[in-house]
Amino acid sequence: MASLTCTASDLALLSSSSSNATAIASFLCGRFSSISNQLSDATHAIDNTYLLFSAYLVFAMQLGFAMLCAGSVRAKNTMNIMLTNVLDAAAGALSYYLFGFALAFGGPSNGFIGRHFFGLNDFPSPSADYSYFLYQWAFAIAAAGITSGSIAERTQFVAYLIYSSFLTGFVYPVVSHWFWSGDGWASPIRADNLLFDSGVIDFAGSGVVHMVGGIAGLWGALIEGPRIGRFDRAGRSVALRGHSASLVVLGTFLLWFGWYGFNPGSFLNIAKVYGTSGGYYGQWSAIGRTAITTTLAGCTAALTTLFSKRLLVGHWNVIDVCNGLLGGFAAITSGCSVVEPWAAIICGFVSAWVLIGFNILASKFKYDDPLEAAQLHGGCGAWGLLFTGLFAKKAYVNEVYPGRPGRPYGLFMGGGGKLLGAQIIQILTIIGWVTATMGPLFYGLHKMKLLRISTEDETQGMDLTRHGGFAYAYNDEEEFSMRPGMMMTKIEPTNISPSSDGRPSPANV
Amino acid sequence: MATFTCSAADLRPLLGTAANATAAAEYICNGFGAVSDKLVAATYAIDNTYLLFSAYLVFSMQIGFAMLCAGSVRAKNTMNIMLTNVLDAATGGLSYYLFGFALAYGSPSNGFIGKHFFGLEDFPSPSGDYSYFLYQWSFAIAAAGITSGSIAERTQFVAYLIYSFFLTGLVYPIVSHWFWSADGWASAAREDNLLFGTGVIDFAGSGVVHMVGGIAGLWGAWIEGPRMGRFDSDGKPVPVRGHSGTLVVLGTFLLWFGWYGFNPGSFLTILKTYGQTGSSFYGQWSAIGRTAVTTTIAGSSAALTTLFGKRLLTGHWNVTDVCNGLLGGFAAITGGCSVVDPWAAIICGFVASWVLIGFNKVAEKLKYDDPLEAAQLHGGCGAWGIIFTGLFAKKDYVNEIYPGKPGRPHGLFMGGGGRLLGAHLIQILVVTGWVSATMGPLFLVLHKLGLLRISPDEEMAGIDVTSHGGLAYEFHDDNDKTMKTSITMTNMDTSTV
Repeated sequence: MASLTCTASDLALLSSSSSNATAIASFLCGRFSSISNQLSDATHAIDNTYLLFSAYLVFAMQLGFAMLCAGSVRAKNTMNIMLTNVLDAAAGALSYYLFGFALAFGGPSNGFIGRHFFGLNDFPSPSADYSYFLYQWAFAIAAAGITSGSIAERTQFVAYLIYSSFLTGFVYPVVSHWFWSGDGWASPIRADNLLFDSGVIDFAGSGVVHMVGGIAGLWGALIEGPRIGRFDRAGRSVALRGHSASLVVLGTFLLWFGWYGFNPGSFLNIAKVYGTSGGYYGQWSAIGRTAITTTLAGCTAALTTLFSKRLLVGHWNVIDVCNGLLGGFAAITSGCSVVEPWAAIICGFVSAWVLIGFNILASKFKYDDPLEAAQLHGGCGAWGLLFTGLFAKKAYVNEVYPGRPGRPYGLFMGGGGKLLGAQIIQILTIIGWVTATMGPLFYGLHKMKLLRISTEDETQGMDLTRHGGFAYAYNDEEEFSMRPGMMMTKIEPTNISPSSDGRPSPANV
Repeated sequence: MATFTCSAADLRPLLGTAANATAAAEYICNGFGAVSDKLVAATYAIDNTYLLFSAYLVFSMQIGFAMLCAGSVRAKNTMNIMLTNVLDAATGGLSYYLFGFALAYGSPSNGFIGKHFFGLEDFPSPSGDYSYFLYQWSFAIAAAGITSGSIAERTQFVAYLIYSFFLTGLVYPIVSHWFWSADGWASAAREDNLLFGTGVIDFAGSGVVHMVGGIAGLWGAWIEGPRMGRFDSDGKPVPVRGHSGTLVVLGTFLLWFGWYGFNPGSFLTILKTYGQTGSSFYGQWSAIGRTAVTTTIAGSSAALTTLFGKRLLTGHWNVTDVCNGLLGGFAAITGGCSVVDPWAAIICGFVASWVLIGFNKVAEKLKYDDPLEAAQLHGGCGAWGIIFTGLFAKKDYVNEIYPGKPGRPHGLFMGGGGRLLGAHLIQILVVTGWVSATMGPLFLVLHKLGLLRISPDEEMAGIDVTSHGGLAYEFHDDNDKTMKTSITMTNMDTSTV
């Protein structure tokens, strides 16, 4: 904001020999000072409103992911997966408050990890207020949610509690420190010693959030193996249909809705000018543009998936389109603020094929991921990072990360290869770090027989065996007319396993 | 706000005898005047944006409660309960506009009830704009929604319409007047004669909203009795399962989402400083953020406590119980969210979880049936929340939010003496008394007139079929009626389907 400071000596000159020069000077300067303070207060209010509502939107993604997960698994495991989503948020709140936020953003610190604000001690500070904490918490729980999709339908609840606390409380905060804090070794807003003179541009977390969640899920799912019946004896893929497409669509739309907090909100403040004041163009414009690039990438990915799946499988598949849409969002998340809308179209188009490709690969390697989480968040997330290294526009990069004229930007936009190099380093580092932390954790749980559930639990469904009963009860137990029929069915020797689509039927009760 | 009113008369003498002194003075003062006007307008715009979007969030809690209710009742009564939720919002819109808002906030008035703004006459005023009305409306319909949970699955629709109108239009507005209007006898924002020198700090309504809804529900459910089959002939409780755990989770998350409007939004404005000279990064916007954090932490703490508590008590990890525990934590923190530290919110949630479990056990022993545990959750955890605030309210925060009375009481455990807690105990008694004295007789009269509970036949068949045109769910085509017959036949013989 243009300065309204005003010194008495400046004004005194204007009135030269007038005996009241000093009085005039302090009068005017007092007024200007007062205006300046009020504008500063207004800016804080505006920015906090913006960030708080963005945080609430990101929180709504938790709900979206819960519904997406629920719809994508069989009915007999619905309570289980939804409980994991509720607890990601709840356990995440406590662990992030106690130490996660400190490890991520507790500056001043070193390049690896933060060390202030444990339990929000000495908080708020001029650099961060409560709205910032809440916003970062909402991101942290998103990452943990992603992983639960990969290991759905066959993971013990205790294992889930352990990995989730570790991921949200330690693994994820450290990664976010590297790429997003002012101290992080790969951060683009470091004071000096930028990686490749550029730092990594992962604006809202294709790597920090999506890849972290996806790679963690990859290891969990690989180590515990595919769900029973997912691959037949010949190794062919068998579709294990989710129990509700409506919930999948509901979840997808809620995630889309919340993404408007996830991507544009990552600017953190809105009342900021780019250069000289008084124009219509400022950070608020960049924020709007970011909402648009986000939208376009998702839409393009959805359409590309629609038509390519029509070619590949012969019908219009709404579940695949939803997943493709989300893959487009995961990809644009990295560069949403620094690319042009037309580039976002390319981002979405490619991410659709990336997802399809990774899914084919997963089938070949008999890797089972009920939510395609590793393929979508890991694969499309990685593509998103590369995309940014190719298409980041010079003007936007310098607006969002000011103070270093001549800094690298997208290769295809004439900015050289250094940004792309940094993005590749990010991909490798995240894969390495998450593998080195979550891999051994899942492996240890596996060895101690704490990871995968028993065959019996898996056949009956965890809801029945561990969560007190099925999610759905459409028919009253009190309908006496049903009882004789059900009892007789139980006498039958066969038909103890549930129907493959998981719909509740008399035999399941 | 520091003043920078500027009159040419003040400035002119300072400019001495220069021939242009007057012109210079007017010029400068006009400039300041214009800046001042713009800043005032900007403040209103910012505050109204904040309050309107908070109101929309609170409104989304209506969706959340509808889904929570739907998932918690049996499939055959789903249409009924959802219709009550839709109508809470709709009839509440009209009754609150016509007189509810006036009875609540029609100042200046007396300590008991408001008396201006009927039908929003002479509105808006400098003290309240439309955003304030909408925000208060969204609160009013929340209270009515809570009650419908207690009497679900066995209440006649006509009875519902009557109690809802009465609760949203009269009972609730009067309570909100006592504790939230600047005139209210127990308000913490009164000019003078504060109750116990402090007034009640029920920031977003653990008492005003949650206890009112919960106690009203308590009387309705108590008077009409438990659902058929809820307690067997030995008096032992029989679980009556809700039909969709997914809707329960959906509803819980939507309520959580909306609570970010309910608690932080109760500040009403965001652009406000707390008395520092000059500008600071810390202002009401920080307190608002902190309130969002305490809210989050209390709910999370309650959810985790319930998860492990229920695992110990029942042997499994129960999603619906965790969801209810979570909501109990939110109901409890609602009273003190703005005046406590985040660490205190952990305690609030932890205790709320046990309060809910305890009240549920008491309900079972007394053969009290509440399909949504509404009286236990909103009434019980709400009351705990009121007590919690009297214990943990922090001095700095209390004085920021209720300025102008230095040395006022605050939380007992924070060194603030016992008067705030005393005022809060008064609130619990008064709310319980007032709601019992109004809603109790109403439900009793409806009961005596045979208008409250549905018939046993209707309860067996499900209200949707008898009164709402049919079931909520239609998963099989009507053609399948022929299939049903064949399934019965298949059950008679031993071959597989």
